[in-house]
Amino acid sequence: MIEARGLSKRYGDVVAVDDVSFSIGKGEVVGFLGPNGAGKTTTMRMLTGFLPPTEGTAVIAGHDIFEQAIDARRSVGYLPETPPLYPEMTCRSYLTYVAKIKDVPRARRHGAVDQAIERCGLEDVHRRVISTLSKGFRQRVGIAQAILGDPPVLILDEPTVGLDPLQIREIRSLIAGLAAPGKGESQQTVVLSTHILAEVEAICRRVILISDGRKQVDAPITELTSGGRSLEEIFTQATLRDASADLDLEGDG
Amino acid sequence: MRHIPTVAGRELRSLFVSPVAYGVLSLFSILGGVFFILYVAEFSEWVFRLQQMQAAQQLEDLNLSDHLVNGFYGSMSMVLLFLIPGVTMGLFTSEKANGTDELLLTSPLTIWDIVLGKFLAASAFVALLTAIVGMFPAILFLYGDPELGKTLSGLLGVLLVGWTYAAIGCFASSLTRSQVLAFLITFVILLCILLVPAMADLGIAGGAPGIAELLRWLSTGAHFDELSKGLVDTSDLAYFAVIIGVFLCMTKAVVESVRWR
Ligand SMILES: Nc1ncnc2c1ncn2[C@@H]1O[C@H](COP(=O)(O)OP(=O)(O)O)[C@@H](O)[C@H]1O
Ligand SMILES: [Mg+2]
Repeated sequence: MIEARGLSKRYGDVVAVDDVSFSIGKGEVVGFLGPNGAGKTTTMRMLTGFLPPTEGTAVIAGHDIFEQAIDARRSVGYLPETPPLYPEMTCRSYLTYVAKIKDVPRARRHGAVDQAIERCGLEDVHRRVISTLSKGFRQRVGIAQAILGDPPVLILDEPTVGLDPLQIREIRSLIAGLAAPGKGESQQTVVLSTHILAEVEAICRRVILISDGRKQVDAPITELTSGGRSLEEIFTQATLRDASADLDLEGDG
Repeated sequence: MRHIPTVAGRELRSLFVSPVAYGVLSLFSILGGVFFILYVAEFSEWVFRLQQMQAAQQLEDLNLSDHLVNGFYGSMSMVLLFLIPGVTMGLFTSEKANGTDELLLTSPLTIWDIVLGKFLAASAFVALLTAIVGMFPAILFLYGDPELGKTLSGLLGVLLVGWTYAAIGCFASSLTRSQVLAFLITFVILLCILLVPAMADLGIAGGAPGIAELLRWLSTGAHFDELSKGLVDTSDLAYFAVIIGVFLCMTKAVVESVRWR
């Protein structure tokens, strides 16, 4: 469903993402793990068509992000790092607007909005103006707009950042629910980014670890931990290896 | 292109929840009333004086369209110069502040959907302002007989001037993240356009007649005047279409370049 082919992004001299490739199949839930500044947001922005890659390309649900940009974007539900909300709109009118611009057919629009409201637990606040909602609810509205209309691919950038532990637990079970759909709901491919290990362990079956813009690890979690090592060890090792590689380079120069 | 009305509708609704829209509408109506009363008073004064001087010929030449309505339209289009930057300053800057630019640019919308949707919303608001302008000369029809053709073509002039200003404001708003800056950029561009004929007259063109001609053609005022005189000429209409088109294309290029930065 998602095919990244040698994605790179440079900002002037800063290499934010460096030749990242991966392939994610239908129904997978993949954790995009990495420390702050690793290049997670940049990679997701390239996948969603917000930023063009400096090099490489990606194919989303069979559509090339350059060649069939509109079709690729139509296949993706995206929660950016900051939820993209209009503070003056009510939750419901906002979701209806998003349903329109995301080409959810008119006949399905009302139902899709209701479903997103229900799945994100917004029933009590859907008539309220977004600016009056708490941070936790705003994050949920952000997730609701991403899952609206059941796009085959979901890309969620740090969906639990800034929430309290209770809200984090709720959002995690919500995402876990997306990957294991009930009857009549279509199976979605989910990529979520996080810098929190426990999050990946809690929701994902596969982890892609990036550090300093490079892919370090890409494997199912069960496989990684089968050697008796904890995910934490692997995580520190991978990020440290990278740091020492940098040090070595500096020594050479 | 299907989504232009969707984008415009949301833009208008958010404009009308903000105090800006109501502030602009009230201020514009009040100023409209004030200018109208001033022009009516001036006109009556002329009539009175000319009657005293028994200048029958001049009295004959004096008419509501040329000596009242046109001046009023001119003043109101000057007011638009100050108010429209306030209406358009939030068009793109607020998307960037909310982070909703990321939503729009990753949705299946085209850039034209976004740009034209926003321009359509601003244009609808300008149409509302023009309707307010139109109410005042409508009063004159109750008491006198201004020329309907001139009244309407002048009003068309106000509308086109407003749309031109809106296109320029749209462009300025796409350039920056700051509403204040967007206001100022719009205002500066509008002032430049206003001053262009003066520059032509001052001979900045350096005697090259082609350039002076071009500068005069660029001035909004000249084309507005033609319309006020009741002359609806395709070349004047084309002028407004060209300026609006150029600024909208530039807006599209800027919005696109954000994606490519
Ligand atoms: N617009 C930008 N201009 C310059 N550098 C940027 C820009 N956006 C991100 N970066 C840099 O790219 C790197 C990766 O950033 P990001 O993708 O946001 O990381 P993450 O989401 O993993 O925290 C960082 O070093 C960041 O400073
Ligand atoms: Mg990030």
